[in-house]
Amino acid sequence: MSLSDLPPESDFAAVSAAGTDTDRSDAAAGGRIRGRSPWALAGRRLARDPVAMISLAVIILIVLVAIFAPVFAHLTGHPVNEQYRKIGLTPDGLPKPPGENFWLGSDDLGRDILVRIAYGARISLLVGVVSTGITVAIGVVVGLAAGFLGGIVDTLLARLIDFVLSFPFLLAAIALVSVTGPSLLITVLVIGFFSWASMARIVRGQVLSIREREFVEAARSLGASNTRIMFVDVLPNVLAPVIVYASLLIPVVIVVQATLSYLGLGLPPPTPDWGGMISEAQAYYRVAWWFVVFPGAALLITTLAFNLFGDGVRDAFDPRTERLIRQ
Amino acid sequence: MLRFLLRRIGIGILLIWFITMAVFGMFFVAPNNVARTLAGRQATPQMVQSIRDRLGLNDPLWQQYLRFVTNALHGDLGYDYYHGVPVTSIIADALPITLSLAIGASIIWLLLGVFSGVVSAIRPRSLADRAVTVFALFFYSMPSFLLGVLLLYFLFFRLTLAGYRWFPATGYAPLGQGAGAWAQHLVLPWITLALLLAATYTRLTRGSMLDVLGEDYIRTARSKGIGEGRVVMRHALRSALTPVATQFGIDLGQLVGGVVVTETVFGLPGLGRTAILAINQQDLPVIIGIVLFASAAVVVANIAVDVVYAVLDPRVRLH
Amino acid sequence: MSASHPGADVLLQCTDVVKHFPVTSGSLGGGHATVHAVDGVSLQVQQGETLGLVGETGCGKSTLARCIARLYDLTAGTVEFDGRDLTGLSRRQLRPIRRQIQVIFQDPYGSLNPRRRVGSIIGDPFAIHGIDSRAQRKRRVQELMERVGLNPEHYNRFPSEFSGGQRQRIGTARALALRPKMIICDEPVSALDVSIQAQILNLLADLQAELGLTYIFISHDLSVVRHVSNRIAVMYLGKIVETAPTADLFERTRHPYTRALLSALPAPDPDAADSRERIVLAGDPPSPTNPPAGCRFHPRCPKARNDCIANDPDLVPRLGDHASHRTACLHPLQIGEDMSIAIPQIGDSEIAADTIATSEGAS
Repeated sequence: MSLSDLPPESDFAAVSAAGTDTDRSDAAAGGRIRGRSPWALAGRRLARDPVAMISLAVIILIVLVAIFAPVFAHLTGHPVNEQYRKIGLTPDGLPKPPGENFWLGSDDLGRDILVRIAYGARISLLVGVVSTGITVAIGVVVGLAAGFLGGIVDTLLARLIDFVLSFPFLLAAIALVSVTGPSLLITVLVIGFFSWASMARIVRGQVLSIREREFVEAARSLGASNTRIMFVDVLPNVLAPVIVYASLLIPVVIVVQATLSYLGLGLPPPTPDWGGMISEAQAYYRVAWWFVVFPGAALLITTLAFNLFGDGVRDAFDPRTERLIRQ
Repeated sequence: MLRFLLRRIGIGILLIWFITMAVFGMFFVAPNNVARTLAGRQATPQMVQSIRDRLGLNDPLWQQYLRFVTNALHGDLGYDYYHGVPVTSIIADALPITLSLAIGASIIWLLLGVFSGVVSAIRPRSLADRAVTVFALFFYSMPSFLLGVLLLYFLFFRLTLAGYRWFPATGYAPLGQGAGAWAQHLVLPWITLALLLAATYTRLTRGSMLDVLGEDYIRTARSKGIGEGRVVMRHALRSALTPVATQFGIDLGQLVGGVVVTETVFGLPGLGRTAILAINQQDLPVIIGIVLFASAAVVVANIAVDVVYAVLDPRVRLH
Repeated sequence: MSASHPGADVLLQCTDVVKHFPVTSGSLGGGHATVHAVDGVSLQVQQGETLGLVGETGCGKSTLARCIARLYDLTAGTVEFDGRDLTGLSRRQLRPIRRQIQVIFQDPYGSLNPRRRVGSIIGDPFAIHGIDSRAQRKRRVQELMERVGLNPEHYNRFPSEFSGGQRQRIGTARALALRPKMIICDEPVSALDVSIQAQILNLLADLQAELGLTYIFISHDLSVVRHVSNRIAVMYLGKIVETAPTADLFERTRHPYTRALLSALPAPDPDAADSRERIVLAGDPPSPTNPPAGCRFHPRCPKARNDCIANDPDLVPRLGDHASHRTACLHPLQIGEDMSIAIPQIGDSEIAADTIATSEGAS
């Protein structure tokens, strides 16, 4: 996965438009309409989607593991960065397979893989959520301004978006991180820095069409300022695609962060991090499959869960696809 | 049309220029230890200084940049700091490897992705569709390096242990030494890249086909009695493939910089891997050269996609 | 609706309003064409009256409305409201004035933000102009909802939960919030079913009586306009061709175009409908990018003469009419004149105005 794997922008036109065709029952004057808000409808659809609900449960589970990581350390009696060179390694100095002492085995330095995976969840989730948050914040504001204000502002911002999108992402991210030195903060910032442009482009596209709608004109006729119209009138109408995109962005960010770690540019050792663990494991894959498989499985399950949930969110906001399949 | 093209090219050149400025700036803000590393353990400050002079690192920033640009316009991208090898030849050496990897994989993933996406879309909710969707989701979620390592484990290690020496370990065999060896060394990297990207294309094609198949004109074609096969191949496929083609163009452009991971896992000395090594050594000319090349590739690919789009849809030209 | 008092204050004065839009270039060549949406319109609206503005689609009435509401900048001309010249004011300067002029839009489904609750939409004017606290606003909004015939308990619902007619009530409530002096109703009932139209029209009438509002009522439907207006202005291709008090417009029609519009009105009595002449204007309405020379209506006019090509007539009283009845025509209709037997006397082979009399069968 890379940042260009995200769904194309055509997906999102339907999402924001779909919000308007909710239950519309005919009413006599002052009739009894039992309608529901567009948000409630989407929420209901999501709740009825078994796959989405299961993946949500998995996500919650992962979050719990991350929060209660110290519990794992306590239960096994192995603090996360503690190296057990005697009991944690075979006589040849190789990692030990899963067994009594180390439930998921040990790594090349005799550390408990289970505990490190639990702590690694913290990193992945943290970066995933925070980076996505930054992306959303910057992307939405830039997209709103560019799409709504038009003119020079739009030209400049659109060029800026093109510029950021033209950067060969991985190379540039690696270069940036290598220059500044790896750290959690840098990782979060770097990923956020490169992702906002896609979001901004999508938001801008949505705003361009929303801008022509009559309720925007109505707001102008009331004397509303541009800023107010952007944030009070336009923003709620772009929120749906933004939420969908953000849900689908989180797993991408998690993978990107793991990739950076794998390339040695993630967090400084001995921080436990899934990508870093796999990188260390590669030298030992012939003799210690558990060292690769367990962190890999953790990463894969996390990404899968977020992807499935993101798909569910997208389908909840865009029932069109669902109806098509049901025919 | 010509005006459109010229505008896009002009903007593209501007973009590349800005990117080089950004990379340049990035590296000069950071402490640069190249001279010290080159000078070795026992270096005196004077030695370090003279090395810096030789490399032109003591000149003001804008002067260095200007020198770089003028040289670049003459086709000279400078020399790497450590061995004095021209950057252009470094790129020339690494490029075929990256291209072999990228193009080979792209053919596989395009065919695989589009085919499975179409099959999935024409029989929604069938067993085939569900299987394809699950596989696509699985590989879509898989990080590239993980897949690479897993493939190494299962297809190289386990198979070799079992006596089937089908796949070599790592490394690259140039075409010149025989197509067989060349392909053999590339098979695992190809599979890695292709599986991952095919997943994206499967999802994309499936979604696009489903959209198109729901359109009114398809319903008309069916009601006219046209067989399903023709409906799909003749009428639906063409419009459904437009977003796929666009994405393909973009992806190809990004690949030049994006195969870094695969090259690292399988030890292929392509552009990506070379860039990482250079970054670790702070070998600025190499870094800038490769980044320039990679961004040029992205820009060119974007322009190509835009042109194709404009040819297909005249409305686009009115931008 | 309420009668206008002669000599009442002039609330709105438009003088030679012009609004042109540049056409963005097509695929070939340069696009320097302009759409002459409004091409020199002068009108007056008096306090308390309802001015009807009628015309075919594309005649420029909606554009004129937006110029008056200053949603567009004028290309030329002036708009004066309540004695103040609005023409050159900046957006900031216009803000306080916006409280006086409000708009009710045509599309009940487009003019309300689907993602905002109805209470928030109606309360928007208060929030924008910083009036009242939250709690007071809510009370005011609920009062407004009641006044326009909505259930105030639906305060937190979304527009999608309401029918078209109810949505127009919401739009009306929003327009009323700041007690404006003038409301421009841009085809407020065109998108509604006929039975609902009556309800909304009655609501507007009641509000006018109660609050002393002034309306500009825009529509393409003359029968609706007849019902609500004190005076009517007829627009064609960016200009006003006739303006008169309602009764005069219908009984003493002067302009051939007005006559043609009237002849298309459905009559409730089928027999009377049959014996009535129907005037069908031949030819397509010309495009506003390239208006005809002289009188703009002359290519389709059964009474066209050569001087109609040369001169663009002024909007002045003709044939001894009262000052309030003005026509832009060099050969206006006499009272009782039968236009169906008119033949254009122009040596111009492009003129093609046919008339069809359904009962007479004359060609």
